[in-house]
Amino acid sequence: MSISFPSLAFFEALRDEMRVARERFSRLGFFDTTFAVRVLDAEGAPLFEGTLGFEVFDCVAVREGLHGTEPDFVLEGPVGAWREMLDAIHRLGAADVAHSINTLTHFGEALQVRYDDPDGHDKLYRFAESIQEYFDLSAGLDFVYPDGSAPPPRVENVRRSGT
Amino acid sequence: MSYLATTDFANDGAFLDGVARRLRGDLDLSWLDEPRERVRCRPQNERRGLTLRDLDVGRYGWSAMPELIRQNRSFAPRGAEQPDGLPDLQADVNRKSEVWAYNLDGYYEEAMTRQWNATTDIPWGELLATDLPEDIGKAYAQLLTFLSEVEMIATDVPAKWLGRLNADFFEVKNFIASQAMDEARHAEIFRKRALSTGFGLMRASSHNEHNLKFLRDADSFAEASLALHLQAEGMVLTLFRFSEYVSPTEGDKKLFRLVMQDEARHVGYGMQHLKWVVDHFPERRETVHRHLDEAENFVFGAGYATEVMEPFIILAGKGTKKANIDEGIRIQKMFQTKQGDEYFERLAKCGLPERRERSRLWKMLELAKEAG
Repeated sequence: MSISFPSLAFFEALRDEMRVARERFSRLGFFDTTFAVRVLDAEGAPLFEGTLGFEVFDCVAVREGLHGTEPDFVLEGPVGAWREMLDAIHRLGAADVAHSINTLTHFGEALQVRYDDPDGHDKLYRFAESIQEYFDLSAGLDFVYPDGSAPPPRVENVRRSGT
Repeated sequence: MSYLATTDFANDGAFLDGVARRLRGDLDLSWLDEPRERVRCRPQNERRGLTLRDLDVGRYGWSAMPELIRQNRSFAPRGAEQPDGLPDLQADVNRKSEVWAYNLDGYYEEAMTRQWNATTDIPWGELLATDLPEDIGKAYAQLLTFLSEVEMIATDVPAKWLGRLNADFFEVKNFIASQAMDEARHAEIFRKRALSTGFGLMRASSHNEHNLKFLRDADSFAEASLALHLQAEGMVLTLFRFSEYVSPTEGDKKLFRLVMQDEARHVGYGMQHLKWVVDHFPERRETVHRHLDEAENFVFGAGYATEVMEPFIILAGKGTKKANIDEGIRIQKMFQTKQGDEYFERLAKCGLPERRERSRLWKMLELAKEAG
């Protein structure tokens, strides 16, 4: 049965995928940050808000809400922007040039990075590759969006690059 | 060969007699009786392994290290017994607050585990299969030329200071050694990418090189760190993020994500070092401001130089047609605003919120914002 995006189950499934890919994440190095994701509906109200904790090479905490934690940063955006990113990842196996986390957040055009502490904000970049590969793991998840639709199927042997 | 031994050992009778006695089995063994602190450090977190923080115990640790290192003038590792006759190395930096940073050991451990390889971690085959259009390719090659220039001096600066720090600052020395390796890898990857685009290296930048000379020739480690780690690398970090944003291929995006990780770690050290200076050596605040006054002057000249700014515009606008240039200028302005905002945010977090009011760079950025 498909899980829903956004939901706690979705991020728990990503945590499980990360456990399977532990060797890959070990090669990327220590990954010590706690950040939050916030998915907004069409009116800008939160559909889902969750906290993700990473320590050493693992995802050690997945919680709904912020529960008094002070995340290093919050990745926030409308469900449509998250969907566009997840569709690209699901179709191609990993984000393409238009849908990496840095590209989507750089000028806040699709997703925004909220933060109080610039040191916490910089963790998005200190662990950039680990965070990107964490979201890329969603390529292997069976999930549906709030309207019941599913992301596009995987396209084999497609180049993600191009000008 | 300017440093000569005060003893000609091959002709020193007492020394040769001692060697002969030991070879006959008549051992001295006085070193066994040195009074010392016996420790057996263990990992506090098995998943993380044995970290430098696990070694922060007693005389071996850094927590008990004094502000002024008067007792160790030699290569003796911190905590070792120091017999008479050790050389005075005349280290240039013997004051902890000139080099130390909060979470210093954490940055080092992170650096060690997050190393990567410019030869094997980049999908070179994929990159070589993509032909870049002439205008984009040349603009990209010019950006890579600029970055190659920057990273070479970013390697030289920590390497220059490495041997000039007191040996007791072991953790700092190791961190800046890891930084020198990071920056050397950055110089390597930008050179490799430039020479694989089909366009090669383009034009060196006079304005940029004067800025780099200023970084290299800082009068103290604290000034070098301020200008390199916090100001220059902070601005380059925003530039790497921008470069990832405008990268033409997924392989190039990965390249910039990997270099931005290293750069953000160096910026982290720079921030935590400046906070340490402001917290522990507040009389340096005015010196810090004076150094930033000139550093910002140089960086303004370098960042807005023709051969630096124009490739950004072309890459951001994705071409050289009028509409592309207009779009490129729009994005370039957003980038410069972001770069300035992030730099002043970091300084405020480090305890210098007044920097905005004092800075001519801030005033120029504000004028540019007002002008739209």
